Amino acid sequence: MIPVLAHISDTAPRKRGGVRSLARRTADTISGAVREVLENDDLASSPGLMQALDPRVKLVSIVLFAVTASFVHSLAVLVALVLATMVLAAASGVGIGSFARKVWSSAGLFGVLLSAPAATAWITPGAVLVPLGPLSITAPGLLIAARLITRVAAGAGFGLLVVWTTRWTDLLRALGALGVPDLVVATLAMTQKQIMSLLRTVENMHLARESRMLSGGTAKENRGWVVERMAFVARRSMKTADDVYDAMLSRGFAGEMPSLVDLRATARDRIWLAASAAACVLAIGLDRMVLPL
Amino acid sequence: MTDEFVLSGVVHAYGAGVRALDGIDLTIGSGQHVAIVGANGSGKSTLLKMLDGLVFCDSGTITAFGRPLTEDALEDPSFRREFRSRVGFVFQDADVQLFCNTVFDELAFGPLQLGLPHDEVRSRVGEVAEALRIDKLLDRAPYMLSGGEKKRVAIASVLTMRPQVLLMDEPTNALDPRSQVWLLGVLAQWKAEGRTVVIATHDLSAAAESCDRMVVLSEEHAVAADGTPDEVLGQRELLLSVNLIHEHEHRHHGSEHMHGHAHGHIHA
Repeated sequence: MIPVLAHISDTAPRKRGGVRSLARRTADTISGAVREVLENDDLASSPGLMQALDPRVKLVSIVLFAVTASFVHSLAVLVALVLATMVLAAASGVGIGSFARKVWSSAGLFGVLLSAPAATAWITPGAVLVPLGPLSITAPGLLIAARLITRVAAGAGFGLLVVWTTRWTDLLRALGALGVPDLVVATLAMTQKQIMSLLRTVENMHLARESRMLSGGTAKENRGWVVERMAFVARRSMKTADDVYDAMLSRGFAGEMPSLVDLRATARDRIWLAASAAACVLAIGLDRMVLPL
Repeated sequence: MTDEFVLSGVVHAYGAGVRALDGIDLTIGSGQHVAIVGANGSGKSTLLKMLDGLVFCDSGTITAFGRPLTEDALEDPSFRREFRSRVGFVFQDADVQLFCNTVFDELAFGPLQLGLPHDEVRSRVGEVAEALRIDKLLDRAPYMLSGGEKKRVAIASVLTMRPQVLLMDEPTNALDPRSQVWLLGVLAQWKAEGRTVVIATHDLSAAAESCDRMVVLSEEHAVAADGTPDEVLGQRELLLSVNLIHEHEHRHHGSEHMHGHAHGHIHA
């Protein structure tokens, strides 16, 4: 399951023709985000290659792959790593289309924007491929940009694989088992819960407003309303935080968060970890010795 | 019967002198089932929080199990541990109470805070989850549960601490009829087990059904009546004056009647 904030930018269902009101757009977006969180939990609970792994092993192996991607220079090896994320996604029952869209619409776009200047003759001189004056695209510049974009996409792909194929609760347990302090894990858990709760509040506020409106309202009215509601949600969030703290005190909280993490790695997990480590060593070896491009 | 809580002249105010409780004298004995009833804003929730050592009186005194219940007293780890293990609080809003990663963690939180051995914690979690029929939910995240399930988990999260006293704020609030019946059954079971229960509610029907004593808080935040449910519910003028029932005009079979009405179908 992916943290809910990762979904906020997703598009909600669109009404054909006409302009939807701000209230309806926001409510739909929030509703879509919450729905996707629930769907992700279903995906993480369904059978698949990555889902079957112990979350700690999965986390460690994916971090290994992501670190490997950051060390590799060869474009061919980087492309192979990107393809590996897609193969793993397919083997885990993740739709390749939605996986690729998510990776390239966020990390890919970010990589393109970040690396675009480096592709030009202004930053990286060399043989010109597309003549545009000082902004001509050069061959070495394009190679640098491609390297950066594929590296970001590979890292994001591996990260997305973890969050899409692991229930949020298991991910937090894995973090705890790997030595992340209990208080940090508990804070992450509460943050996720709080975000879900506030999203539902905001969704209901927008729906309540829409139900009493005959038109979409002017942009100025909408801005004013949104700012006012943001203040309300902030106040409510603080009040809830106080109440949650009272509830913790009531059950004996005195500053520590001991937990009962009970995860057991199987032979399959050990084989997967060994294979992942071998694949990373192979990728770095190929990068350094066989495919130095 | 020993006294578990003794409140004497308790006054509490919020912020700029807004009184939430004004001169409360109250004694709660072991094994009693007490309903604190009053209109919204009468101070019921504040009183429960005070009994749980979450808010403290500005003047007056409160003792729990024979010891003063103050902020300083709860700083003492041994008293805090003893007090928290003996008193459990089910909050009105289950969402507030469920802050852990999974239902299992939620049920284990209290016993772990008490420093119980892990095997004992697991045993308690399994036992309570089975009793409250939430054993299938143990791996789920609490925020993904339905309202009724959340309430069960909130109650279970307190029961794993095996408290002697249970405080419940508006326990039937937002529960569907089947869950309300289930909860009343749980309260009856606790009565049979000899646990002390204090519930804050404005649901007179649930209060009358589950409690043997009713304490009425007025809109002036003071105790307006204290007696058995029959004694209290027989005082129509009192219930009208504290805004627990209202008069409502009906037309039945061609003639008009005035009734006192309350939520939960109590007719005074």
